[in-house]
Amino acid sequence: MAALSFELAPVIAALPFVSFLIALLAGAFAPRLLPKGGAIPGIAATAGSLLLSAWAALAVWNSSEGVYHESITWVAGVGDAAFDLHFGILLDPLSTMMLVIVSLVAVLVHVFSLGYMNDEGETGLPRYYAGLGLFTASMLSFVFASNLLMAFMFFELVGLCSWLLIGFHFREPGPPSAAKKAFLVTRFGDYFFLVGVVGVFATFGTTAFAGSESFPHLAEQVLAGEASATTFLGLDPQAWFAVLGLLVLGGVVGKSAQYPLHTWLPDAMEGPTPVSALIHAATMVAAGVYLVARMYGFYALLPQVLAFIAFVGGFTALFAASMGVVKKELKQVLAYSTISQYGYMMLGLGAGGYVAATFHLMTHAFFKALLFLGAGSVIIAMHHNENMWDMGGLKEKMPVTYYAFLSGSLALAGIVPFSGFWSKDEVLYEALVHGLDSPLLLGAYAMGLLAVFFTGFYTFRMVALTFHGDPRTDTARDPHGVGWNVKLPLVVLGTLAAVAGLVNMVPVAELTGAHLEFLHDWLDAGPEALTAHHYGDLLPYSSGTIGTELTTVLLSAGVSLGLALAGAGLAWKLYAVADPDEHTDKLGSAKTVLFNNYYQDEYQVWIATGLTLPLARAADKFDQGVIDGVVNGVSSVSLLSGSRVKRIQSGVVTNYAFLLTASLVVLLVAIGLIGGWF
Amino acid sequence: MWIEALIAVTLASAGAVFLSPNKVAGKIAFVLSLLPVGGSLWMYSTYEASGNALLEGSTLAFETNADWIVAGPYSLNWHVGLDGISMPLIALTTVLTSLALLASWTPIDERQSQFYGLMLFLEASLLGVFSALDFFVWFVFWEMVLVPMYVLIGVWGGPRRKYAAIKMFVYTNIASLALFIGFTALVFGLGDAVNTFDMAAVAQALRAGELGALGPIGAGTLKLVAFVAMFVGFAVKVPVVPFHTWLPDAHVEAPTPVSIMLAGVLLKMGTYALLRFNFTMLPDIAQQNAQLIALFAVISVIYGAMLALAQTDLKRIVAYSSVSSMGYVILGLVAYTVYGMGGATFQMVAHGLISGLMFMAVGVIYNTTHTRMVSDMSGLASKMPITVAVFVAGAFGYMGLPLMAGFAAELFIFLGAFGAFEGSVLFTAAAMFGIVIVAGYLLLAMQRTLFGPFEIETDYEVSPAAFHDVAPLVVLILLVVLLGVDPNIFFEMIQNAVDPLAPAAGGGV
Repeated sequence: MAALSFELAPVIAALPFVSFLIALLAGAFAPRLLPKGGAIPGIAATAGSLLLSAWAALAVWNSSEGVYHESITWVAGVGDAAFDLHFGILLDPLSTMMLVIVSLVAVLVHVFSLGYMNDEGETGLPRYYAGLGLFTASMLSFVFASNLLMAFMFFELVGLCSWLLIGFHFREPGPPSAAKKAFLVTRFGDYFFLVGVVGVFATFGTTAFAGSESFPHLAEQVLAGEASATTFLGLDPQAWFAVLGLLVLGGVVGKSAQYPLHTWLPDAMEGPTPVSALIHAATMVAAGVYLVARMYGFYALLPQVLAFIAFVGGFTALFAASMGVVKKELKQVLAYSTISQYGYMMLGLGAGGYVAATFHLMTHAFFKALLFLGAGSVIIAMHHNENMWDMGGLKEKMPVTYYAFLSGSLALAGIVPFSGFWSKDEVLYEALVHGLDSPLLLGAYAMGLLAVFFTGFYTFRMVALTFHGDPRTDTARDPHGVGWNVKLPLVVLGTLAAVAGLVNMVPVAELTGAHLEFLHDWLDAGPEALTAHHYGDLLPYSSGTIGTELTTVLLSAGVSLGLALAGAGLAWKLYAVADPDEHTDKLGSAKTVLFNNYYQDEYQVWIATGLTLPLARAADKFDQGVIDGVVNGVSSVSLLSGSRVKRIQSGVVTNYAFLLTASLVVLLVAIGLIGGWF
Repeated sequence: MWIEALIAVTLASAGAVFLSPNKVAGKIAFVLSLLPVGGSLWMYSTYEASGNALLEGSTLAFETNADWIVAGPYSLNWHVGLDGISMPLIALTTVLTSLALLASWTPIDERQSQFYGLMLFLEASLLGVFSALDFFVWFVFWEMVLVPMYVLIGVWGGPRRKYAAIKMFVYTNIASLALFIGFTALVFGLGDAVNTFDMAAVAQALRAGELGALGPIGAGTLKLVAFVAMFVGFAVKVPVVPFHTWLPDAHVEAPTPVSIMLAGVLLKMGTYALLRFNFTMLPDIAQQNAQLIALFAVISVIYGAMLALAQTDLKRIVAYSSVSSMGYVILGLVAYTVYGMGGATFQMVAHGLISGLMFMAVGVIYNTTHTRMVSDMSGLASKMPITVAVFVAGAFGYMGLPLMAGFAAELFIFLGAFGAFEGSVLFTAAAMFGIVIVAGYLLLAMQRTLFGPFEIETDYEVSPAAFHDVAPLVVLILLVVLLGVDPNIFFEMIQNAVDPLAPAAGGGV
């Protein structure tokens, strides 16, 4: 049984790819034959992927080997030192968990799209569903990729799909521009990633993630002095590996929208809302963080890189959360919260909390997909007005959406016992105990902790402005209804957002001694080299405690819960009133800075249009004037001066044929002379 | 005799088309061009060869080596044959020519029989260039390419066609002179070691260190001077910065099908010749100057891409991006690894298909809008969806999207070059930054012209393109994806042919 579910693993990604082909080809040649514009094949395909993923996950759990790893050779190297390039599938607890998450979110997004796209009378549906299918297929392939090169290839395809879907409404000026920005900014990160991939090949001769010939394992051996590897730039292995780790991290920072490459993500809200849900919860943005978890055996060896990851993560968490507090549009708030939440995952990974970060990746997938779909439901109701200041009082009109959204909000804010509380708390706890011995990590922890307050604030500001108080416009007084296809995904995700945290209740486990760390057990299964405890052995950290371990756990959980409640309470007090004020003037000059997103966009746009474009134009001037000028100058002063050249090159073929023949004769004579023919 | 048949059939087709009425010349030419396509595909399917055509121990496919002319002590032979480097280029030439002929139906509306005849003549010359193994035979074909090219631009080109044609002609002809002198000097320097201009014999003698002094010039100097002369000669054709300025002018003035041939096949003559001559015959000079050559490569990649970013004419954008892409080929060649040199050869094919596709797509847009200026149009996607879809796919192929041919080629080059010689890590990393700039200018151009609200500055009705305009685009994109998914279609034979070159370096991966 287990073997069959593994044999079928390629089908997990192939199904959505087939739905992409169906939507593409039928959309081009026989649009009428395509049920619901491609939604039905998409739903069937992703549901199939979900079932197969779940089956594969069960099989991984039951399998004695715990992992399935099969490769086909894509390109075989020739020569002594040449390496082969592979496509392969790695099924282990981490990848099967992610496969389930991705396919689950994908199927719900497809269902929701029936309500958001089909029922709203959008045109170009086959193109939309083709994009969703390819997006899902690429992400699933990325998730089960057995090596870094294959991961990179599908990482890039994920980028392409984001471009296609963010720019879906291509007839308007905004979406194509946002799509371009998303692709370019992440491409900038992917440049470093690609250099890293090539560097890993050159160093280890392989990019496999798992097995005795994998690069994390080889790196471990090299650092332990048991093997040797080629290093470059005159660096010792430790430093060179750190360089490689940072290069790959470039792609992570781009895709997971970490500072300073986060600027594409808020703009990407131009895409249809279900696409935002897919991008933020399960596909593109998740890809970056997932990659770090996937090759954690490599990162765990590199203390400097870990510290860097943690610091970038903590900083991004705070930085993005602070921008979320002043936004007017529902989806903008969610966009900044995504950046901030992925910051937490980076913080967790950098701080040595592999399980914690993976846990947060899972809970975030559920509650962020929920919040985006909930926002989509609100946007349908509001006739595509996204400004929260035009809403208010929607709680009475759309109760299902409200309670689902509330569940997601409580999870996002980190209120016990909703899922986000458990995972975020675990991330912060890991950062704290490891940070007690490392000032840098402690700083990252402090930023992450402070961000909890902002998170609570912007989340409940959003809830209050959207659903509470009096309706502020006519649309809000009489919103558009939503159908079952919108409510069903909300109910499923609303439930998951509430209870998913129960899989890993570390504080409760500490308090009661009961064994409740199921996710930890899950990630500890599988092949030794990919388990959580192996990573724990590799990590350079030592743990400190404040008092006993129990007091540390409770203190950490208590402080973060208190901050979340304080933030949420303040927002509630300010905004959950009948007729709320903006209150942003109280921020003073900080208001302008926050509204302008710390001018991050401005300087990046300046680099593109104020620096690179003028540089390109200067190069063009130089090229036309100097280089081409020299060419033309030389030709006009040479023996064949301009007018004579023209006379020789009269455009008549026979003249040229004559010249050709004549020169050949001259050459033959010359050879004859030199060779003594005459 | 297959190569001779291939060339002869193409030449005969050219003659037949010359004599045909203008009205049907296009259709006749296309149908006749399917003969060489079929021939080259048949040759591919029966291809059996191993090793590098110029080195010891190789077996060539479809080889003929017959005495032709005896000039003093030197015998000039009719020597043609294919190895893993030339076979893919032959296939590329025949396929791309056929598609370019199809793409001519709409834009070429005068003197058709001459136009199509010259295109087929051009194809025959190109087939000769990629299959000839005797220097004289090769050089005759090399020069023969210029004749139709010159006329095709000079007669059917844009407003400044005379200037562009003459510039291309003079520039590349002077380059031919340089390479001719360089090569013949080497042959004379070899003295009694060779009595032929056979490229294999010369290559093997040079690699065996048989080169002596030529008059007052010592062997070492002679090698270096000949290398530089040939390098410059070929660099003009590639083109390598700073020898590139003829290219954008030629492209802008050339009609679409001629641009397709120019970017798709003619530029590859330069890199092909660099590989056959400089990098095969004088590997020691190439490796001693690896950093300098890599610097030219990096400058071509980055500077070419920056120039493309500055352009406002779609065709100029694609033209300059060729400079950038061909820079990767130079980087791959100088790596002297199987992945590097193999990737370079693969990139010749991949870029041939992708740049052909891009020029074709720009041409299809121009046919209906009568403008190529980025600022003159926007939102074309709503008017010509299939053309735009293929344009987008081609552009992503150009950006090196995985599972398309360009990615495979560039990946092989990067893998081969990284660590191949002193300083190669930094050169490779610098060249790789081209993948960001190429995304920048192509995405920017697409955003402005294809998307947003539909607007056009010219007074023409914009309508979806005809079937015979779109079909070649679709064929090309399918080929690009096919080669990207399974590079082994060509890469295995390429690896086999470049492998004997690689050990000379001793470094790299």
